[in-house]
Amino acid sequence: MSTQTDEVVTITPSSQTTSPDETFSNSTYIRRRRWQNFGWALLYMAPALIIFAAFTFWPFFQSIYLSFFVTDQAGQTVRFNDVQYYSRILNLDGSGRTEYLQSIWVTIEFSLMVVPLGIVVSVALAVLATAKVKIIGVFRTIFTSSVAISVASASVIWALIYNPSVKATQWLVDALHLKSQGLLLDASTALPSVAFMTIWTSLGFNFIITLSGIQAIPQDLYESSKIDGANGWNSFRFITLPLLTPTLLFLFIISTISCFQAFTQFNVLIANEGPDGSTNVMVYQLFTAFFKDTRYGFASAIAVVLFLVVLVLTLIQYRLLDRKVHYQ
Amino acid sequence: MSAGITSNEAHSSTYRAAEMARTIGLYILLIVASLVVLFPILFSLSLAVQGDTLAPQLVPDFSKLDWSVFSQAFNQEPNLGRWIINSFVVSLAVTLGQLITSSLAAYALATLDFPGKSIFFVIFLATLMIPWEATVIPNYLTIARDLHWKDSYQGLIVPFLGSGFGIFLLRQYFMTIPKDLYEAAVIDGCGRTRYLWSILIPLSRPALGTLAVYAFLNTYNQYYWPLLITDSPEWRTTQVGITAFRQTESAVFNLQMAGTLIVMVPTLLLLIIGQRQLVRGLTSGALKG
Repeated sequence: MSTQTDEVVTITPSSQTTSPDETFSNSTYIRRRRWQNFGWALLYMAPALIIFAAFTFWPFFQSIYLSFFVTDQAGQTVRFNDVQYYSRILNLDGSGRTEYLQSIWVTIEFSLMVVPLGIVVSVALAVLATAKVKIIGVFRTIFTSSVAISVASASVIWALIYNPSVKATQWLVDALHLKSQGLLLDASTALPSVAFMTIWTSLGFNFIITLSGIQAIPQDLYESSKIDGANGWNSFRFITLPLLTPTLLFLFIISTISCFQAFTQFNVLIANEGPDGSTNVMVYQLFTAFFKDTRYGFASAIAVVLFLVVLVLTLIQYRLLDRKVHYQ
Repeated sequence: MSAGITSNEAHSSTYRAAEMARTIGLYILLIVASLVVLFPILFSLSLAVQGDTLAPQLVPDFSKLDWSVFSQAFNQEPNLGRWIINSFVVSLAVTLGQLITSSLAAYALATLDFPGKSIFFVIFLATLMIPWEATVIPNYLTIARDLHWKDSYQGLIVPFLGSGFGIFLLRQYFMTIPKDLYEAAVIDGCGRTRYLWSILIPLSRPALGTLAVYAFLNTYNQYYWPLLITDSPEWRTTQVGITAFRQTESAVFNLQMAGTLIVMVPTLLLLIIGQRQLVRGLTSGALKG
């Protein structure tokens, strides 16, 4: 019997005819409202979109376009050049000009000098800055300070630190038995000197990121490990370091990207390709080709190679960040 | 009994002594680390106040410090004041511009429901993946050759009026504000733009502050673009100016260092005042959320 009443209820004709009608009118309403919103949204996004179109997307595609052409002094394309600039950069054209490949290698070397040491120093400082003492805030501000100092100002200061007549680094020049007068003038020490200075300029940023990573670790983990008799080193080794790994991976990628983009310190401290080309990083070479030699097409090819390197690093970073979110 | 108490007392006093030694040790470590971190700044200060000498010492003679060098720097380089003004005009304009363009775009992405939203989302995301170096050549040609904006404020400002970082930062913050508020406001006859202006913006002050500090600092410290786009000395910004000053005064160390310290003051003040905002801005990329 009950099944029959159920059937009766479902058959009510009026409800069957009106409901699709209602959903139809409702969905057109929603659709109309969404298109109305579209107009507004476009209006709100327009200022940002116009700026990005004019100064990010258009120039980006223009860079790719220019990299296949020989250009004149005014940056106009003269003739199609195929992929010759790329094969020259990678030394595939048989011209034997290895300076461009060397420039990529110098950039990698520079990153290898800056990134690992920079991270080790910032972890040490961040651990130190978690000490529960009074006025720790003052010390944290001091450790953060280099983030507010521009690379240009820092370069002017470090240029004097490395300046032979100031004698601040004379002891190192003597200890290494350098033939050159200063650290920046010797092919073996120029790049490490710029790298050391770069570690200092990026210290503030690295410190902030590392400290916030450490502060995100739950305190009770430390307390329970203390009860279990762990000493400071053990809790660092088995709690802080493993839980900090995602932060450090992020830092690793970000620092590597900024090393590939470093320019200011090279232009101020060295101002050319360095002794035996030892500090001729990619961005500096790009600057030389573009601004000094006005070879816009060739410089664009270097820019595209640089973009590809940074893109790969950025994609790795996004993958790592996604993993980290799942992990949490 | 009494023996037990004394040993207990002795224990607690040695414990206290150990704790004290630990604290003192920590302070010593912190102070040493601070001196190492501050070395370049202390170095520049030391060289600045030693007077014009070709053989400066690392530690100055405290009995004859020469502080007049800071006013001397302005006399020696008449453009120094102008450079600071230029940097402030450019940084403030870029900061204000980024706040406006970013909050408008973030508002659309966070609050409105419209077709093709995900496409626009990807477009804004893509701006974060294109490094500045990959666009600098055509941008230079546009600004210098086509628009003749060399040596002008617009040439220094306009290319930086959009910020992908700012859009995502603000979008994330706007999304934490309940959508019911929007529905209620619209039902009450509040227009879309008025909702943004009189409800969303005041509620989002922390995020806007973060973006403002971040944008100002980055623009003030810019070097590459102002170097390309300024020819005459009076149009330089502080960063380009100070490196040029270094070359003109290459043998006058105290002036070089004084000039550098002077142009560092605004950002150091900003660090002290806006440290919380800055830290939030810098970590928002790392900690996602």
